[in-house]
Amino acid sequence: MNRFLSKDFLSGLLFIGFGLAALYFGRHLAMGTAVRMGPGFVPHMLAFIMIGLGLIISIVAVVTNNGEMAEVPKWKPITLVTIGIFVFAALFERTGMFPALVALILIASAGGEEFKLTEVLGNIVVLTILCILVFKIGLSMNISIINGVW
Amino acid sequence: MDLLSNLGLGLSVAFSFQNLLYAFFGCMVGTLIGVLPGIGPVATIAMLLPITFHLPPTAALIMLAGIYYGAAYGGSTTSILVNLPGESSSVVTCLDGYQMARNGRAGAALSISALGSFFAGTVGTVIIVIFAEPLTQMAQKFGPADYCSLMALGLVAAVVLASGSVLKAIAMVFFGLLFGLVGTDVNTGAQRFTFDIPELSDGIDFAPVAMGLFGIAEIVANLERQVARSGAIKVSSLWPTREETRRAWPAVLRGTAIGAILGVLPGGGPTLGAFSAYTLEKKISRTPHIFGKGAVEGVAAPESANNAASQTSFIPMLTLGIPSNAVMALMVGAMIIQGIQPGPEVMTKRPDLFWGMIASMWIGNLMLVIINLPMIGMWVKLLTVPYRFLAPAILLFCCIGAYSLQNSTFHVVQVALFGVLGYVFSRLGCEGAPFLLGLVLGPQMEEYFRRAMLLSRGDPMVFIQRPISLGLLIATAILLVLMALPSIKKAREEAFQEEEG
Repeated sequence: MNRFLSKDFLSGLLFIGFGLAALYFGRHLAMGTAVRMGPGFVPHMLAFIMIGLGLIISIVAVVTNNGEMAEVPKWKPITLVTIGIFVFAALFERTGMFPALVALILIASAGGEEFKLTEVLGNIVVLTILCILVFKIGLSMNISIINGVW
Repeated sequence: MDLLSNLGLGLSVAFSFQNLLYAFFGCMVGTLIGVLPGIGPVATIAMLLPITFHLPPTAALIMLAGIYYGAAYGGSTTSILVNLPGESSSVVTCLDGYQMARNGRAGAALSISALGSFFAGTVGTVIIVIFAEPLTQMAQKFGPADYCSLMALGLVAAVVLASGSVLKAIAMVFFGLLFGLVGTDVNTGAQRFTFDIPELSDGIDFAPVAMGLFGIAEIVANLERQVARSGAIKVSSLWPTREETRRAWPAVLRGTAIGAILGVLPGGGPTLGAFSAYTLEKKISRTPHIFGKGAVEGVAAPESANNAASQTSFIPMLTLGIPSNAVMALMVGAMIIQGIQPGPEVMTKRPDLFWGMIASMWIGNLMLVIINLPMIGMWVKLLTVPYRFLAPAILLFCCIGAYSLQNSTFHVVQVALFGVLGYVFSRLGCEGAPFLLGLVLGPQMEEYFRRAMLLSRGDPMVFIQRPISLGLLIATAILLVLMALPSIKKAREEAFQEEEG
């Protein structure tokens, strides 16, 4: 197996990447002095430590080469769940809770192995009633179920 | 007697109808998520945080605390009956609990674990009562440098708990600290990493992060591998035999002691307590060969330990304002939402809240025995609900919960983004808990660090000149060295392998 695909090496890269990103996006922040630290002092310090740790982790991973390999992810569940949440966020204020809920459950359920339409519809009905009872009536939150209707 | 009047105050608060109701609700929800694999107390508390907005502070904290220790009770039920730990703290209970159930002693195992847990919970509550006041007085002597070192100790100790590479866990802490800096700099008003998004100027809310890292990532992991569930074992008589009782009670005492001590340590908690208690029982037992084949001690000790530790892990949070694990980090957040700054002042400024919460823990433990033993059949039925019904429900409650934090869909988007990040973490074997602790402690730690440096005129020696700070830093260094030692490293790896296996 390729030693550059171990879990440790890739997580080292992740840390280095975020450290570099922090340095780049924080480059305009003033460092200040040790007595009066500017807004950039601690972020720079943390970013350098993270890059350092990331380097150690990935170098150790490549040299020893006995870590676990990262598996190829199954794309379907994570993609559909993420899309489902985005759609929910997009619909929630425009159309109300009910359409957003239906979209979220349909999309997310499609991410699972088994998808039975009757079950999913039943799920939608139960959850809609539950949400109305808990959030709208129980906690009297200011949300509309379907915009303009209720 | 100060202690008694405090307890009296606490009991009077906890026994109000409203608080009893919320304690009961918390215990029910806690047991529920403890029984159901695939959702833990961290994600649940994050989901319910927005609801606590609408509650008075005492009721909110009583409810959240109930969820936390309720999960420890519920988790043991599934460990014993189906060999599936509902929570990481009940992983070791599977080893002997399930074997006991297969030998026809399911009822005995359940009642020993519930009664052991109740005993441990009671002792844990008493310990909090006794130690809260002296610790709080000590905390009031802490300066900024001391607080900074204390947080460093807490964060390093959190690493001990993470399975896998220590270096990666430390890097995760710094990762979290860095995310904690997002927002407006308190001292200068400068915008840091906000990318001109107005919602980010208040910083990253930890509730969507916790929902993403612990809720969404967990859902996705469960959708990927469809877990086949074996049927639950039937429960006969709940009463243990005289022989079983005779063997269980010393184990309960030892488990309680270990759990109580490990719970107080920063970074300690129910899981560590349960593992250590089980290992000890196996070491000192005259019949070590029966462990793993249904030893009563192997159920009694870890179950008592995880409950004692659940209770005592409140001590650093209540007295110092330092969370010792991810759940406590969320409790700190719940207090901040209510406008209470956690720390030594809580006890003097809000004695009703402080003592009411402690008293409610004992009441909650009592409720849990009742919820768990006679109602066992109901919880077992719940286990037959397939995960494809649960996943959308959890997802939906996360989304609506995140929205209602500030009535903004930006938080919902955050849940999705941190879900993706959490998924990447779990794929790469990085732990989410150190990240969350870093995120919560980040802003405070920076503040104390800068204040300490300002007071010392830029001299970093202040951290080793103050005795409290020096002591804490030495403890931190010892922990780090210990983890690097080959023999400890090996033992730690073995412990986590047992957990995974």
